[in-house]
Amino acid sequence: MVFTSLALFVRNRGPDEFWRKRKILKLSAHFYGRRRNCYSIAIRAVHRALVSATKGRKLKKEDMVALWETRITAGCEEHNMTYPLFREGLVRCNILLNRKTLADLAVWEPRTFKSLVKVAHARVSQDGLAGVTELGDPPSGIITRGMLK
Amino acid sequence: MTAYKRVQQWNTFARVWHLYDATWQNPFESAQRIMKYLKGLHKPIYHPLNDCGDHVVVINSGEIALLGDEWRKRVYFHHTGYPGGATWTLAWELHDKDPTMIMKKAVYNVMDGNLQRRYTMQRLHIYPDDDVPEKIKQNITNQIRQLRPVPKRLDRYAPEEVQRFPKVMDWPKNYILR
Amino acid sequence: MSNSHLFLPSGFPRAPLQNGIGRFVCQLQRITIKFCKSNGSSRGVREFIEKDLLDFAHNYPGIVVYVKPRRHHSPCLSAEYLNGERQYVNCHNHSRDEVIKWVNLLRTESGNQIIRLRKMWHTDCPSIQGPWSPFVNRDPHLNVVEFPNESLSRPVYLPKTATEQLKEIFEKQRQTNVSSLDEKQAE
Repeated sequence: MVFTSLALFVRNRGPDEFWRKRKILKLSAHFYGRRRNCYSIAIRAVHRALVSATKGRKLKKEDMVALWETRITAGCEEHNMTYPLFREGLVRCNILLNRKTLADLAVWEPRTFKSLVKVAHARVSQDGLAGVTELGDPPSGIITRGMLK
Repeated sequence: MTAYKRVQQWNTFARVWHLYDATWQNPFESAQRIMKYLKGLHKPIYHPLNDCGDHVVVINSGEIALLGDEWRKRVYFHHTGYPGGATWTLAWELHDKDPTMIMKKAVYNVMDGNLQRRYTMQRLHIYPDDDVPEKIKQNITNQIRQLRPVPKRLDRYAPEEVQRFPKVMDWPKNYILR
Repeated sequence: MSNSHLFLPSGFPRAPLQNGIGRFVCQLQRITIKFCKSNGSSRGVREFIEKDLLDFAHNYPGIVVYVKPRRHHSPCLSAEYLNGERQYVNCHNHSRDEVIKWVNLLRTESGNQIIRLRKMWHTDCPSIQGPWSPFVNRDPHLNVVEFPNESLSRPVYLPKTATEQLKEIFEKQRQTNVSSLDEKQAE
């Protein structure tokens, strides 16, 4: 009689080694060279990649915010307006548009954006915020809710 | 892509030529503004990967104004790469040698040191006076506003204007001005 | 090994086996709720079990519900679907309302893999007013200007200099002096 259980027990390290490795190799499938197929190298690369992915999730959002802000600033400066005053004016008029929408409007619907700048300008100069005098005269023909009161 | 769309894209990505008069302007503050136009940061279509920068023609770079005694104190460093090849040039010396150099270096230094910088600099044209070649002058369609107003020199005022200027007192007849 | 799992697959929305055209078959077959009887992170799940679970099981007799108390573990929901897929939701510190929301979501899902939905239409240019171009906000007056131009070069906002203010004060004084002189002459 042969007792194989001990030998098999030694060979079988942990639960289902093949599938455990398979999970890692699945994540390294798009890597180049031995980092793709050799497990001991792949696992290091996958760990690094996952760390980068974790960091990248946050960085991506920050990058997009920075890009939108540059674009809105550019759009504002065409109409002789500053970004902080523009946002403040819109919020005071209860126009709650986020950066993404404003940047999109500046590119795709420039005339809407221009009217938004005018509304913000009228509101900001009506409330007399700091730095308004540099913007020049407020546009005529704009009626905000604050003016009606 | 239809012909209409192609034209629309040309329209959106059209390069504009701007003019900047550097008379009596601080080159380092002006560089911040010029850089915006060179990189396309003044356009709402800006993206670091799209090539939407404009051309800037700077005139009168020989007339720039440096703060305080920066003409004497500011030093430009250059190294030829050989041992003992380091040179330090004062700002006034450099300006004597090449009146466009300070402006050029100011713009170059204000940009990020990436691979795009050399190509962006190619879109900057600097002239020491307002004598711009006709070929470039024809392209200019816009002017960038200066940072500060250029004060008028006393000898440019008409004598009657000087006469009319209010003064607290007149010098006595026998007073010797030194 | 292929890379297909790395990216979100795409497709058109469709019900599994044309479910709902004749009769509706709930795709969720089994839902297992694991929780701890004492741990605070399971509070919402415990509340759900006490107050809502019986109603849930009564309303949807086609779904088998398992409740497994697991000491010192985070609570979780595990849903098994008709196509053999399994969804797992971690309910750590979830409130009762959140648990109800998740259970309802799991109940109404088809169990198919999440895909990017494709559409039959396409927008070439999402703009109505025409996209931005350098010429949109350009003053037409610039077309006839000779460059370099003095007035275009000056900054827009120029605060009054001390000299200008002094000159204004002087002008005002002179005006008043002249008017007072006139009054004296009139007397």
